Amino acid sequence: MPAPVPFDPQEVVDAKYKERKLRPGVTAKRTICTACDIQCSVVSEVKNGRVVRVRSSDNPIFRDNICMKGIISPKGLANPNRIMHPMKRVGERGSGQWERVSWEDAFEDIGARLKATIAEHGPEAWAVSTSQWNTGTDHGLGRRLMNHVGSPNWTSGVALCAGNTGAVNKFTYGWFPIGDFQNTKCIVLMGHNPRRHSWTPMYTWIRQAQARGAKLIVTDPRRSSSAERADIWLPLKVGSDAAMMFGWLKVIIDEELYDKDFVANWTIGFEELKERVNEYPLERVAKLTGCDPEMIAKAARMYATEGPAIIPWTPITDMQRNSTSGIRLQSILRSICGYVDVPGGEHLQGFNPDIINESEIEMHHVLADEQKSKQLGSDQHPAFTYRAQEKFCGPMKKVWGQEYSNIATGSYMTPPSSLFRAMAGEGPYPVKAFFFLGNNPMMSYANMNLIIKAMMNQDLIVAHEQFMTPSAQLADYVLPADSWLERPMMMDSMGWMSTVRTSEKSMEPPGECRSTFEFWKLLAGALDRPEVVPWETLEDFYDYRLEKLGMGWEEFVATTDVHFKTPEFRKYLKTGFATPSGKVELKSSILEELGFDPLPYFREDPPIDPEYPLKLFTGVREDGFFQTGHRHIEEMRKRHPEPVAFVSPGTAAKYELNEDEWIEVENELAAVSMKVAIKDAMPDDLVRVPHGWWKPEMEQGAGKLSGALKYADALLCRDDEDYLDREQGIPHLKGVACRILKSAPLNTDAEAQAEPVLEK
Amino acid sequence: MSSREREIRKQARAAKIQMWMAGRSSRNKSPLDKICRFIISRASTPKPEDDFLRDPLIDNDEGFDPDELDRFQRGELG
Repeated sequence: MPAPVPFDPQEVVDAKYKERKLRPGVTAKRTICTACDIQCSVVSEVKNGRVVRVRSSDNPIFRDNICMKGIISPKGLANPNRIMHPMKRVGERGSGQWERVSWEDAFEDIGARLKATIAEHGPEAWAVSTSQWNTGTDHGLGRRLMNHVGSPNWTSGVALCAGNTGAVNKFTYGWFPIGDFQNTKCIVLMGHNPRRHSWTPMYTWIRQAQARGAKLIVTDPRRSSSAERADIWLPLKVGSDAAMMFGWLKVIIDEELYDKDFVANWTIGFEELKERVNEYPLERVAKLTGCDPEMIAKAARMYATEGPAIIPWTPITDMQRNSTSGIRLQSILRSICGYVDVPGGEHLQGFNPDIINESEIEMHHVLADEQKSKQLGSDQHPAFTYRAQEKFCGPMKKVWGQEYSNIATGSYMTPPSSLFRAMAGEGPYPVKAFFFLGNNPMMSYANMNLIIKAMMNQDLIVAHEQFMTPSAQLADYVLPADSWLERPMMMDSMGWMSTVRTSEKSMEPPGECRSTFEFWKLLAGALDRPEVVPWETLEDFYDYRLEKLGMGWEEFVATTDVHFKTPEFRKYLKTGFATPSGKVELKSSILEELGFDPLPYFREDPPIDPEYPLKLFTGVREDGFFQTGHRHIEEMRKRHPEPVAFVSPGTAAKYELNEDEWIEVENELAAVSMKVAIKDAMPDDLVRVPHGWWKPEMEQGAGKLSGALKYADALLCRDDEDYLDREQGIPHLKGVACRILKSAPLNTDAEAQAEPVLEK
Repeated sequence: MSSREREIRKQARAAKIQMWMAGRSSRNKSPLDKICRFIISRASTPKPEDDFLRDPLIDNDEGFDPDELDRFQRGELG
C-alpha cells in the first residue's frame, strides 16, 4: 500500500529551500553534520562568530540531506549544560564532586596514572571505547596510540552496528559492499526503516529508486512506513531474518534463478551450501518466520529476477544471536545472484588511492603478536578480533594494496561483553583503565549493570564528552569535547566507501572544548610518545593525509565538496577476491579454521519461559535523538517527552494496557519504566522499546545516573551465551523474552504530552 | 560477447559518467562544471507534487538569533 502524500501542496509552494541568498552579516560554511552517524553534507550559516542556522547543501547531489537533528544543532550545542572545561573527580566515584583543572594538569595526572597501570598490569589493562563515527577527528589516532603502547582492547558501538557487518562481510568476498542505489532495480530492507528524519540520505535514495521503478521488498515484524510502501512486505517473527534468507536461497537454488556462470567461476562451497539450504524447506522456514510460504517464494523470485538488486546494510542483523549467519546469508544471496561489484548491485569500492586512509594511520602492524593474542574475547568470539581479521592480511595486500582494512572501524575490535567482564574482574586478566570518547558506554552495550560494576572497578576513567552523560558521571576526568561546528573535518567513510568529503570549521569551540585529535596528541605526549602524533595541528595532520594529491588541506577544503575515485566494477576479474581462496567463499575457510561452522546456520530461540511470554525488540532510534544523545534539547524532548513502548492492540487488550499508561518492561536482568503506545502496526506479543533513554534533568551520580537506571534499554539486554552470537560475541537485541507489569504513575518531568511520531 | 556482458559494460560506462558529472558538479568552478551541475540539478529535482522530502519543519526553518544563542548558552533564558 503506498504511503500517503506527506505534505500539503501549499507548503511546497511556500518552501524556502531554494532561497540561498545570505542574510546581511551572514557567511556560509560547507560542513558535514555529525548530529548522527550518517554524516550529511550541509551548510552552516555564521553570524557574529556563531553558527545560527544549519541548512541543506547547495550541491544538488546532497540536496535535502538534512533532518531535525541537524537544524537544531546550533541551539543544542549552545546548551548551558555543555561541559566547558576539564573536570577532575574529587569525591568518591560517582559522587558528583568535581574540581576544575587545566587540560595540561589533567593530562599530567592522566599520563602518570595510566603509566602506573601499565607498569603494574601490562598495556592490555588499558581499554578504550569510541568510534570514528561519533568523534569526527579521531581518524584512527586512538588505535595508533594504543598499538604503539601495546593494548589490543579497543571496542566500539560499531561492534553491533555496521562495523561488525563490515568485518563479517569479508569472510565471503573480502570487503564490505555499498549498494548502488542510483542504478539498482530492486532493494531489500531487512527490518531497517530509513525515513525523512532518520538515515535521511538512504531514505532519499530508496524513494528515488522507487520513483524510477525499482522494486522494494521489506522484511519487518512491524508494518513500518517502508513496509507500507513496499511491493512485498514479509512480516516475519522478530529475530528470524536468517531463517527467512534460507527460504529465499531454497527457492533461488531449486528454481535455478542464480547466476550459474558466476557461481561456477567465482565461488567455492556451492554444493555444501546447497546441502545446508536443503535443511530449510519452505514449510520449515514458514514455521520459523511465521510468513506465508508463497510470499516467501515470491519475494525470493523478485530479488533474483528483478535485479541488479541490493540488500543495504541493516542494523537488524547486526544485533542478533544469528548475526554472523545473517550477515553471511546476505553476502551469499548477493553473490550467487551475480550482484557483487556490478552496476546497480553491491559495489566493492576499496580505499581511495589519493589519501592516506585511516587503516594506515592506525598502524596495526606495530602491535606485537603477543599483545594481539591477548585481545579479550578473541578465544571464544573471534570474528572481528585480530585473531580472525589478521587472516585477511595477505589477500588484502594482494587485492586492495594494504594488509589492514579497518572498514567502518569494525575490524580488530574487542567484543564488548568480554571487555566489560574483564573490567569487572571476571576476565583472564585485569583491565583497570578505561577511556571513552564521544561514547556513552554504560548505555550502548548489553548488560548495563555489568558495565556499571566494571566501571566502579577501575583505577582510572577518562571521558571526552560534550555533556555529563550517565557514563561520564562515573569518570575520574571529564574533558570537554568540541563539535562538528567547531572544527574542520575530512571524512573518508572509514574506508567503507572511496569518497572523501570535507567540512569547514564554522566557529571557535566554546570554553575550553577541544577536538579528539588534540586529546590523542596530549595523551601521546603524556605517555612520553609524542612521536606517535607528531602533527602540531589538525590541519597539519590533514596536509599529511593529502600528500599524494599534491595539495594541502586549505586548498582541498576550499575547492572540494566531495572527492571521488573513478568507479571500477568487477575488479575481481583482474585481482580475484580478498579471501584466502581468491574466490567468493560461500563456505568460509577462515571460519572453518577458527573451529566454527563454515556455513551459515540458524539457532532457534530458547524455549519460551512462561514467566516471560513476550518478546522485546530494542536498539530502535527515535527521530529526535541519536543513540543516547540529544535528550537535553527541549525541542526534541517535546517530540519525545518520555520513553514509549509500542505494543499491538491485541497485546494491549490481553494485558489490559491503556494508551499513555506507565508500565514496567521486565526480564530476568532488570525492569525499565515506559509509557504505552498502542500501535496497530505492531504484531502481537512483541514489545518495541526505544534505545538509550535517560533524562539529563534528573539527579546525577552513582545510584541515580540521571534516570538511566530507570529507563535505559541496556538494562534489559542480556549477554549470556544463549543471547550472544557465537562467532562475534555480540548481543541479541531482537527478540529477548520479557513481560509487562503495570506500574503506579510516576512523578515525571515531562513538559508536554506530545504525540510520539516514531518511525513514520 | 553475451547480452548480459554487453549490458553490464553499458551500465558500468553510465555509472562512470554519473560519477564524473557528480565530481565536476561538486567542484562548480569552470563552465563545464556548472553545466554538469545544471544537468544534475535538473535531473534530480522532482516535481513539487512528487517531492517526498518537503517538510515544513525543515523548509520553514529560519535558524536562530546569535544574541539569543549567547544568552541561552549563558543560562539567561529559561
